[in-house]
Amino acid sequence: MAPQDRLTTFLNHPSSPLLRVKGLSVAYGTHRVVSDVGFELGRGKSLALIGESGSGKSTIARAVLRLLPGTGHATGRVEFDGQELLGLPERRFRPFRGRRIGFVPQDPGNSLNPVRTIGAQAMEAAALLDEPDKALRKAVVLETFAQVGLDNPQRVYDSYPHQLSGGMLQRVLIGLAVLPRPALLVADEPTSALDVTIQKRILDLLSKLREELQISLLLITHDLAIAAERADSIVVLKDGAIQETGSTAMVFSAPSSSYARKLHGDVPALNPDRYRPLREPGFRHLGARRDKTPKIEVSGVTKNFTVDGKVLTAVNDVSFDVQAGTTHALVGESGSGKTTAIRLLLGLEQPDTGKIAVGGEQVNGRSPEQLRSVWRHLQLVYQNPFTSLDPTWNVEKIVREPLDRFKIGTYQERTLAVRKAFADVGLGEHLLSRKPAALSGGQRQRLAIARSLVLKPDVIVLDEPTSALDVSVQADIVEVLLSLQVKLGLTYIFVSHDLALVRQLAHTVSVMQRGRIVEHGTVAEIFDTPRQPYTRSLLESIPSGAARLARTQPLQHRQIFNEEKIA
Amino acid sequence: MSKAYFNYAGKRLLQAIVVILLSYVFTFVVVSILPGDPITNVLNNPQNGFTPDEIKEIIAAQGLDKPIPVQLWNAFSGFVTGDLGLSMRTNRPVATLIAEVLPSTLVLASAGLAVSLVLAAIIAYGTQFLPRRFGQGLLRGFPSLFLSVPNFVIGLVLIHLFGFQLGVFRVIEPDSFWATLFAAIALGIPISAQIAEVLIANLDHESGQDYAAVARGRGLGQMRLFVMHLLKPSSLPVITVVALTIGELLGGSLITETVFGRNGLGNLVQRSVSTQDLPVLQAVVSLAAVVFVVVNLIADLTYPLLDPRVKLLGTQQRRPTTADDSSLPISKAVTP
Repeated sequence: MAPQDRLTTFLNHPSSPLLRVKGLSVAYGTHRVVSDVGFELGRGKSLALIGESGSGKSTIARAVLRLLPGTGHATGRVEFDGQELLGLPERRFRPFRGRRIGFVPQDPGNSLNPVRTIGAQAMEAAALLDEPDKALRKAVVLETFAQVGLDNPQRVYDSYPHQLSGGMLQRVLIGLAVLPRPALLVADEPTSALDVTIQKRILDLLSKLREELQISLLLITHDLAIAAERADSIVVLKDGAIQETGSTAMVFSAPSSSYARKLHGDVPALNPDRYRPLREPGFRHLGARRDKTPKIEVSGVTKNFTVDGKVLTAVNDVSFDVQAGTTHALVGESGSGKTTAIRLLLGLEQPDTGKIAVGGEQVNGRSPEQLRSVWRHLQLVYQNPFTSLDPTWNVEKIVREPLDRFKIGTYQERTLAVRKAFADVGLGEHLLSRKPAALSGGQRQRLAIARSLVLKPDVIVLDEPTSALDVSVQADIVEVLLSLQVKLGLTYIFVSHDLALVRQLAHTVSVMQRGRIVEHGTVAEIFDTPRQPYTRSLLESIPSGAARLARTQPLQHRQIFNEEKIA
Repeated sequence: MSKAYFNYAGKRLLQAIVVILLSYVFTFVVVSILPGDPITNVLNNPQNGFTPDEIKEIIAAQGLDKPIPVQLWNAFSGFVTGDLGLSMRTNRPVATLIAEVLPSTLVLASAGLAVSLVLAAIIAYGTQFLPRRFGQGLLRGFPSLFLSVPNFVIGLVLIHLFGFQLGVFRVIEPDSFWATLFAAIALGIPISAQIAEVLIANLDHESGQDYAAVARGRGLGQMRLFVMHLLKPSSLPVITVVALTIGELLGGSLITETVFGRNGLGNLVQRSVSTQDLPVLQAVVSLAAVVFVVVNLIADLTYPLLDPRVKLLGTQQRRPTTADDSSLPISKAVTP
């Protein structure tokens, strides 16, 4: 906006906020999901709506944009620039969409039409400009693509969505949202589907555009650390109602509601030492490492895949040892080879070269029958408990299955073992007859852990065990895992892209990049004195509310535009 | 069109040929082992007074004394070269018999397909523009209504109403434009239901996708959203559905022809069945198999050209992420 226009705006609306929400309630049919929510967002300011799944934060965003799906119905007032929006007929509201209020969606992979080129969709946004010349409109699109840090705008313009990476798609979507120069940008979890370094770049980009274009930002996020770092003020939501609202500094330094305090305590990035007592035994095992052979030994393992005749090295000369009773974390961005590494460890893939041993027994090179004896001691907890449990089985059958498969004990002994595993993970026996669908996300992941425990394994591989869960549930699961480790002396391989979480619970860490381990060491070594630039960039990408609150200067814009390229 | 596409097309073509071959062999063997054919029926009836020598001569002339594999080979090599043998009933070349009636059936089938597509489009796309409660519910009810009424009933109702009551067409001139149109409507209505069901389901699915909400967030109105975004992805799967309904279209044509008194393939089949004229039946069944396979082949070959997402076997394009867990066997679930 030109300075003169901004002055005019200020003169016309001396003190009115850009967005004012009052008594907003949203119901789907008769089911009310948001009750009596109100907040204000000033011009050029940013406000974060935070809360866990089901808190209604995305619903509020959709209500502001009047994009509620299906039977959704909003009541109350949403005032934008002094104009009440909810009561407007669709015909009169449409000019607001895109032109005045831009929308950045959650999952960039699904947010562009898969069968049309990016360019064709970008021209729709460009049609909102008052520019009759098509060539000029296209020029504006390309310019905007460059502005959001896309290297080769013309190529992006000609691409289909599936040809671009998630980070690039999110840049495209941000570009499309800001292209008509809206006054308000609604960003619904703009980075939750992205890797941590890309998340940082996208958030930096949003901050930069906000300053350059004087756009107000309504940021919806489940990540308190992001909110602390990026928002001027915060609204904390739970079950569709406001728990707390205020400036970011206030909400973080002196949270007044118990829910905000709990959330604050559960965020790994803000509480690196939360589980210190539970981790102590592991560190002692680590200290005594000279006496024993490691529980897990991986040495010089390489795995190639051939795709389209091209050889792709998924895991390249990877070596690490894990002492019994400790947690070893494999961290890295998607595509760094973490998943392949654990598949090799579990014997689901065979390495091309190298040696893998668990408890002194070699894993690789075994026949499927021989592998079964390894699997008894080596269990996997999968990432997403919503897809890793058979929905048609009841809970008891799910936990019991490994015992039946390995023919362990008598019928009664198996029943007892199931109950014990259930008690170990803190689930009540009354749940045994239920189906997974009747359990919450946290209960499901406990169930998955119980299933892996029932064979009394020594090693459990945890593949992003909390990434599908809310932060308070995540804290719960982490506590269960660490208590079990202390109690049963378990060894964990923990795969994660969440460095803050790794810092909370791991003893040793390997940082992976493009199939190689670029750095490894104890958790203190990696986090306090990282040697590799890649590790440092990962660490810097952890959103940290504390850093922002300590800063008095506005955000320094470092190199935002990146080296992402169309392959 | 890439090398991968030609590889794919080549493979599909080969598969299609194998399917046609197998279906020919299957029908031939089934028909051969079934008891009874018109010639032996007539010959073996003592009242007809054929002498054993005469019988032998006729059977040799028909090639029926050879072992079944040899008969199969003779029939199939004839089929490939267009010589479909002689009709047992009329002693005329089967190819001629079929050529006489095929155009009429093709006209009816194409018109029926056109009717079903237009109807399905009106029903499905209409749901996008009518008010949710009243009009939409009505439109959405049509497919199940259409499916539950057989096409000969629809045909009889149309003949009665438009032929006799309103006199729009003359029932004794079944090949006139109007008669053909109403026959096509009778044929097309049940088929349109299937296409409409798929279209509606796809439209509902696509309009619930994130990209549709995002496009609306960019300020697109209902009409532009539909035309620019929903039409193509929701209509693409219809290609497959249409290819699969070809069989029904042919079967339906035969019934509809009988109802409307058209002289077409249906008529021929009906007479051939009642007289057990095996060469004609074998030819018609094989021809139907060829049509079905060819249409599906065309559908398979067009789809990759229309949908940029379709990855042809062995040519998957990789997303340019830094590296590539995503393409490895454990797929990452997207967290909600």
